[in-house]
Amino acid sequence: MLSERERERYKRQILLFGEEGQEKLKKSRIFIAGAGGLGCPISLYLAVAGIGTLTVVDRDVVEQTNLNRQILHYDRDIGKKKTVSAGEKLREINPDIRVNVIDTTIDETNVLRLVGNADGIVDAMDNFPTRYLLNEAAINKKIPLFHGAIRGLYGQATTIIPGKTGCLRCIFPNAPPKEVFPVVGVAPGFIGMVQATEVLKYLLGSGELLANRLFLWDGMRSHGEEIAVTRNPGCMACGTMRKRTRKKP
Amino acid sequence: MRHHEEENEEETMKVKVRFFAQFGELLGTDIIVEPVSGTVLSGLIKEIAQRNKDGYNAIFDEKDTFREFVILMRNGKRVDTIDAVTTKVADDDEIAVFPPVAGG
Ligand SMILES: [Zn+2]
Repeated sequence: MLSERERERYKRQILLFGEEGQEKLKKSRIFIAGAGGLGCPISLYLAVAGIGTLTVVDRDVVEQTNLNRQILHYDRDIGKKKTVSAGEKLREINPDIRVNVIDTTIDETNVLRLVGNADGIVDAMDNFPTRYLLNEAAINKKIPLFHGAIRGLYGQATTIIPGKTGCLRCIFPNAPPKEVFPVVGVAPGFIGMVQATEVLKYLLGSGELLANRLFLWDGMRSHGEEIAVTRNPGCMACGTMRKRTRKKP
Repeated sequence: MRHHEEENEEETMKVKVRFFAQFGELLGTDIIVEPVSGTVLSGLIKEIAQRNKDGYNAIFDEKDTFREFVILMRNGKRVDTIDAVTTKVADDDEIAVFPPVAGG
């Protein structure tokens, strides 16, 4: 049941999806991997939307160079754990939700435990090896993975529904090389909003998801488009010939 | 006459190649080319990419094969880069070449 305060807090969106929809959000648990450029705006908007339980995982400490985009971390937070900084802001902006923060590195030994009984995984990582682990966890638990990534003013997003859509490995069998990527805050802000919108629609069971659709955004030209993607039957992560070798991603 | 018609056919083959993200910055975003019949996908992209050394090196490795993360689409359908050496392009094809981005 929603409290009187919650009814007021969410009044304007209850107009959109009703108290029933708001209750659904309240009962939901979302796992957010990363409290960086994508993770900050995503967790912020999912918090104010009233997702009942948010779990945010990150291993890093706030640095000066993060501040152009990681909007949950303030100048005064430099040196603080990102999980601590993010947790404080999220609890302050919405005391009616539960925020769990976990300061750790996601790896293949802990990913399933960390994701726990979440209803969905938000990919707010900055590297493909960890994304592949999240992808495997999503397949294992049969929960969606909301993928997003950025570079410069470019971005991409898609929603992976295990068993229904191609997985991250089907779409991106090989990781692009690691680099110190250029980025301006508006790019993860924009792509993060696409991901957060997907989370809300999925939980509410409304609208049309970015399922088997890879959304590509070119901020420099303000041009968005989508590419159809499909499941790869030979995919090493979700294919029917699924190999259970624990090959390093 | 017949010879002329054939020539005409070849001249009218138009293919659009679209480069995304960094590839587009280096090579241009939408490129219309008129390849001769029998041209394969990899050959076509190589030829265009040679206009810019950095663009070429972003897409191809030292052995002139596609870097493994490069994604190729032909008319909205994925083409494995391994198959690009045998896939012939056809009139009106739209080819997309893009790098996944990885930042967060
Ligand atoms: Zn797959």
